[in-house]
Amino acid sequence: MLKAEGLVAGYGAAEEILKGASIDVEAGEIVTIIGPNGAGKSTLLKAIAGLVPLKGGSVRMNGADLTRQDALGRSKAGLAFVMQEKNVFGAMSVAENLDIASFGNPSGMAARREAVYARYPVLADKRKALARTLSGGQRQLLAMGMSLMTEPKLLLLDEPTAGLSPKAAEELFMAIIELNRSGLPVLMVEQHALEALEISTRGYVIVTGRNAATGGGRELAADPEVRRLFLGG
Amino acid sequence: MTIVAQAILNGIMTGMLIAIPALGLTAIFAVLRYVNFAIGAYATVGAFAAWYVNTRFGLGVFPSALVAFVAGGAVGLIAEQTALARLRPSGALAVAIASIAVNLILENVIRFIFGNDLQGFDLPIARDWRFAGLRFGPQQLQTAAIAIAIMAAVFLFLRFARFGKAMRAVADNPDLGRLFGMDPARIAMITVVLGAGLAGVGGVLLGLDTAIDPMTGSRLLLSIFAAAVLGGLGSIPGAVLGAVMIGIGEELAVLVLPATYRSAVGFATILLILSLRPAGILGERNT
Repeated sequence: MLKAEGLVAGYGAAEEILKGASIDVEAGEIVTIIGPNGAGKSTLLKAIAGLVPLKGGSVRMNGADLTRQDALGRSKAGLAFVMQEKNVFGAMSVAENLDIASFGNPSGMAARREAVYARYPVLADKRKALARTLSGGQRQLLAMGMSLMTEPKLLLLDEPTAGLSPKAAEELFMAIIELNRSGLPVLMVEQHALEALEISTRGYVIVTGRNAATGGGRELAADPEVRRLFLGG
Repeated sequence: MTIVAQAILNGIMTGMLIAIPALGLTAIFAVLRYVNFAIGAYATVGAFAAWYVNTRFGLGVFPSALVAFVAGGAVGLIAEQTALARLRPSGALAVAIASIAVNLILENVIRFIFGNDLQGFDLPIARDWRFAGLRFGPQQLQTAAIAIAIMAAVFLFLRFARFGKAMRAVADNPDLGRLFGMDPARIAMITVVLGAGLAGVGGVLLGLDTAIDPMTGSRLLLSIFAAAVLGGLGSIPGAVLGAVMIGIGEELAVLVLPATYRSAVGFATILLILSLRPAGILGERNT
């Protein structure tokens, strides 16, 4: 459904960070992008979301060309990007965060909010709490819940478990699997590469802005070369 | 004792009036991240617009205040679009300094059109009420009631209205707001209209009691700024709290100091707050 080909992008006039990377995601998949620090993983995700201007390549979603669309246009086409940090409105309550995430399509908001509460009861319990008082794992669930308010077709997660305790990270991976089983494809960048590949249908290894390897999640996780390079053995 | 109680009562009344433009100043700061000193002139614009429709067409207090909101908001939007917004890439300080220039220009435009004389509103004269040894002016009570209604409306707007919530969201995290379909530039302009409009209404309410002249807003600017800084720049409840405290402080100060030192309260407050607690009483972040 998502087909990003030959993406070239960078910030400002500096040398490109992405030098022709390609990713595709099929319906129902969890796809993880791994790679060393500075390889351009997050930039790749942002380029797909429209948050980094493209200097080359194309982004297509279900056949529609989104290359010339900005972040808002791509969001309307069903791409929901969850930032790594500052991904909730800290000074607003959980309920307000979910409501304001529907700013672009307010009709049916209450029903979608209740669906998010049903999926993540912890958010329902904390609906009146300010988002900045949530734990790291709860905040990440809220950020994903906010994305769900936009009725996405593909979820883009930028290092969702960054800064979480091992237990909270594991719970978040479970939440991602559960979300995926309900029919939402997921494309994510993860530092916890081994754990992420274990739950992924497929994985991409990105090195210096280019595709270095690709394959099934467990297959990549077991690959001696991949393990030696990125997983510390 | 009664004198002190009367001073505190007068301070609360004045404070509630200062709170209206202070809300405008703090809302603009929260979303656009600069201190808009032109808020003083927007207050004067509102006061003169209301005075004009009041004395020329006999409009009452409420419709005049509405005219003041529209006039303040419109002038604020024009100033923002033609001058201030262009300077935003140069930083908050450049915009703040430019807003002082806007303040001077508008003040002199008003002087050019309406002259330097004091102008009084055409309102029925009413005898003060007395209660437990304290004096209440009926006009004071009416303006206080309007001020409370406006504050309530602002709170409800920010809490429940779609654009009110979007304003808070963009103030909190503009990048995230953009991701959810908000246009921070458009929200900023709505905020400017609201903030400048509130300043305009504040100008009328403060002028109803006494008289207005082209310096009305500029004279209030220090109290307004001190109120917003004391409460915490960017904090809506803080602006109200700060304004009431400044109002009371000014009234108490003139009990022991000559009236010309009234504005020293504002200066002293700004100095103390900025050196001891820059975030203000209810401020959430250091800026």
